[in-house]
Amino acid sequence: MHGAAQARKYRLQGAGLDLALPYLMLAPGLTIVLDVLVYPLWDGLRASTRAYRYGSPVGDVGFQNYMRLWSDTQFLNSLWVTVKFVALSVSFEAVLGFALALFCLREFQGIRLLRTVLIIPMVVTPVVVAIVFRLIYASDAGMLTALSQAIGGGAVQILGNPLNAFIGLVVLDIWEWTPLMFLILLAGLQSLPHEPFEAARVDGASAWRVFADLTFPMMRPVLAVAIVLRTIDAFGTFDQVFVLTRGGPGEATRLISIYGYDTAFKFQQTGYAAALFVTIGLVVLALAFSAIRLLRRVDAS
Amino acid sequence: MMHSSRLTRRSVIRGGLGLALATTALTTLGMPMPARAAGKKVIIGAFADGGLTPFKQKIIPLAKEQGFDIEFLEDEYGVTLEKWFADAQSGAGQYDVYLLDDPWVPQFGAANVLEDLGAGGIDGSDKDWIGSMIDMGYWPPQMGPRVKGFENAKPTLICVPFVGDLQTLTYRNDVFTGGAPKTWDEVIAKGKEGVAAGKIKYPVVFRGVSGNPIVTSWYPIFLSFGGSFFDDKWNPIFNSAEGKASADFFVGTMKQNAPSGVVEFDSDQEGAAILGGDAGAIIQYSGNALKADDPAQTKMAGKLDFGVVPKQQSAIAQMGIFIAGVPKSAPNKANAIEFLKWYVSAETQAKLSEAGSIPVKRSAFGIAKPGNRLIPVALKQLDAGALPRPRTPDWAKVEELLGIELNKALQAGSGGGEALDRAAKQVKDYLTTAGYY
Amino acid sequence: MRTRLARILTTVFVLAVVLLPIYWLVSTSLKSNREITQEGTLYPHVPTLDNYVRLFTEKQFGSYLTNSLVVTFFSVAIALVAGAMGAYAIVRFRLPFAMEGKVGLFLLTLRIIPPVVILIPVYLLMLHLGLLDTWLGLIVTYTAFNVTFCVWMMESFFREIPVDLEEAAMVDGDSRFGAFRRITLPLAAPGLAATAIFAVLVTFNEFLFALALTATPRAMTMPRGTATLIGRIDTDWASMAAAGVIGALPIVFFALLVQRHLVRGLTMGAVK
Repeated sequence: MHGAAQARKYRLQGAGLDLALPYLMLAPGLTIVLDVLVYPLWDGLRASTRAYRYGSPVGDVGFQNYMRLWSDTQFLNSLWVTVKFVALSVSFEAVLGFALALFCLREFQGIRLLRTVLIIPMVVTPVVVAIVFRLIYASDAGMLTALSQAIGGGAVQILGNPLNAFIGLVVLDIWEWTPLMFLILLAGLQSLPHEPFEAARVDGASAWRVFADLTFPMMRPVLAVAIVLRTIDAFGTFDQVFVLTRGGPGEATRLISIYGYDTAFKFQQTGYAAALFVTIGLVVLALAFSAIRLLRRVDAS
Repeated sequence: MMHSSRLTRRSVIRGGLGLALATTALTTLGMPMPARAAGKKVIIGAFADGGLTPFKQKIIPLAKEQGFDIEFLEDEYGVTLEKWFADAQSGAGQYDVYLLDDPWVPQFGAANVLEDLGAGGIDGSDKDWIGSMIDMGYWPPQMGPRVKGFENAKPTLICVPFVGDLQTLTYRNDVFTGGAPKTWDEVIAKGKEGVAAGKIKYPVVFRGVSGNPIVTSWYPIFLSFGGSFFDDKWNPIFNSAEGKASADFFVGTMKQNAPSGVVEFDSDQEGAAILGGDAGAIIQYSGNALKADDPAQTKMAGKLDFGVVPKQQSAIAQMGIFIAGVPKSAPNKANAIEFLKWYVSAETQAKLSEAGSIPVKRSAFGIAKPGNRLIPVALKQLDAGALPRPRTPDWAKVEELLGIELNKALQAGSGGGEALDRAAKQVKDYLTTAGYY
Repeated sequence: MRTRLARILTTVFVLAVVLLPIYWLVSTSLKSNREITQEGTLYPHVPTLDNYVRLFTEKQFGSYLTNSLVVTFFSVAIALVAGAMGAYAIVRFRLPFAMEGKVGLFLLTLRIIPPVVILIPVYLLMLHLGLLDTWLGLIVTYTAFNVTFCVWMMESFFREIPVDLEEAAMVDGDSRFGAFRRITLPLAAPGLAATAIFAVLVTFNEFLFALALTATPRAMTMPRGTATLIGRIDTDWASMAAAGVIGALPIVFFALLVQRHLVRGLTMGAVK
């Protein structure tokens, strides 16, 4: 390039700026993260040691809020509901997603359509997904009831029955997130080396043996990462329950996020809710990091 | 991976710019932003409820004629309490008026975040007020027990009644041919005849969703059975013999005579059941009742009549009025108070009554042509008996605890009394932690 | 022959499971409330577009859409720039206290904590900054969430790009930043696109913080605005269904448009 511009460029290469460059590049991102994420975390930590009345702090209570959690049956129940929800949803999604990925591994007519359509559930706004399922489950206006009545049956009860409502929520999650599992696992399958499979075919190994001896072991790391990602996400599920059941009937679908939200906003127990959130944050972090450690060990061996 | 892509930096940038341009275009070309008539701005927050339809359709235009520039922000019932309380408590100043559900008044009162409307010039002692309604606007309450910390405080008018909603009975006049059923036994017995005759599918219908809905449905039955909720020291006594009998009747007899899905019914399913011709009778607020004569909204127009709630010992309904408060942080406080003054005047209330909404001034009930035949019935119910819910800032939690237990018993179809015992214990524990005793 | 049949059946089944709920949403949105609750029809017998018209005349869905587009565009754009620079800094530079390794882990940690944990403090922060119910409040919040994600994604893309190219550019007279901007960034364009697409999806769909931080159509985003119609008192099923269609349409359209890059972005983090 020419003259003036060239000269300017040389000047910019001065040692001072180069030394500062990494910090200048890091600064914008870190500043906003520290202000909007880290400071609030610290703020929440402080709130968790205080008692609140009518929305204002009225004194320090140390760790009392944290202790109270473990004798709060509603908290324990919501924790249990959350664990059940996450375990059930994620394992179904993993199995279904894997099966579907294996199914789609070989090109055939209609596969492009299938893949395109499968993108829809996971990109649709979660609030809308919940609306969709309310429209399916509602015992009066719902699709299931309409179908049942069309074949001469009665109203179908999903959201009124604790077990059905819980299953209904799990089904929603499976509908929404199996496609993600599927796409991750399909990408994983496509990235596997061809040679071992060729060799197995030459040896005349059965499809099952190929899966058990080759596909599954080779896919284990991808599968594990996909499960960890989904698990972390599922723990924070809020929107769908908020719209679908708001935690009901009774406490059947009250996930920890909903209970925390209600405790904080509806019942104005800001300090107690903060303690609850801190606890949940720590639990999820501990879970995630032990999973990551486990993965690394598997990777190394 | 990199070379497999057709995306270049240029196309990314171009796409981004395109989006930005489209965005700006959308913004400037004007989403239908109503032209701001220069007027006295008042931002009203409300939860979506059919009970406010007459206000929206008829009174807001009148207010505009009076020079008020009303911004009416509707949200879902389930988020409004927390949103408005956060707004008031933090002084965010996003609203001028909240249209509260009346049990929320104590929470706002205890937090001391609402304007003193008496000082603003609204006369709470006006004899034209329906007494039980204006009482709900005071904190601490003028009558009845007060929570700790407010025993000696002077009652202040922090809210004014806005729409005088209360429960009444809606029934099918082709099933209950002798007029409104007088007792619950009659509701069930005649309702069953109606089912046998193929006129309806279920004698009754109600809301079974846990929390506020189920408690709202059970409450008039509880009151009619002669129950009381708290004693003077805030000890829960709703699990008295009368209370338990009402709960057993509710989860037993009433459930057996209601649609099987009633456990998950909220007011929309409840409304659909009566408006769609499935149910014989329901106790409801005005939201659905206002649709009863409109053929566009119901197949049953002409077959639905209103009456006082049935009784066991007495015929007492639950009051649940819309009540207006002005946050101390309101950006247009003076306009808001001026608007409320105009709104609760006898003249405007008469207009509200004409528009078909239940007014809050006695004179407005007596006008020549109330806009809905529900209005005289509402007055009859007020005179027969209508009680508000207990005036405690912790009602939301109490209602939730009770609602969960009632909902569980309703699912089981039995054990209403035991559910009340469990709920009473939880309520007592909770209020103990909250320092009530 | 049998595998062919099995394949067709499975494909049809999966398509049905995915599309039937969506059919029901759209079909409900074309009915009147009376038809929905009192007649239980399987398809709209008297189709009407009234529900859609109402969203734009009586409700402010036009504003919700504008707000969503503005907030999503700016928070993703800012986060992308800040995130790419941050990621580059920790990939290419040695920092004191081995910070280059720790920053990534730190951001990942923040990413793992469920957002609901900091909802209240963020509300109070935005209150003190006077940013409640504004575009800026949402943009700032979403940018922060997106930065953690962008750094994490871009880090792996930058690592793939050989240093030699930059060094060659610098020998030719580029500054350090110039080399980043003119050499590395264009090479990482596919990665940037994948990251941006993912961030757009997450941001456009966000509900919880929009719920807490907005109150009026001035700032309410699409999911938040849609949720004003989810009432359990006097549910307006028809409007709710129409709102669902309108609420999801832009993002589904966007996703199908960028399908290929979307899939790569979603899957690459896990497969690596």
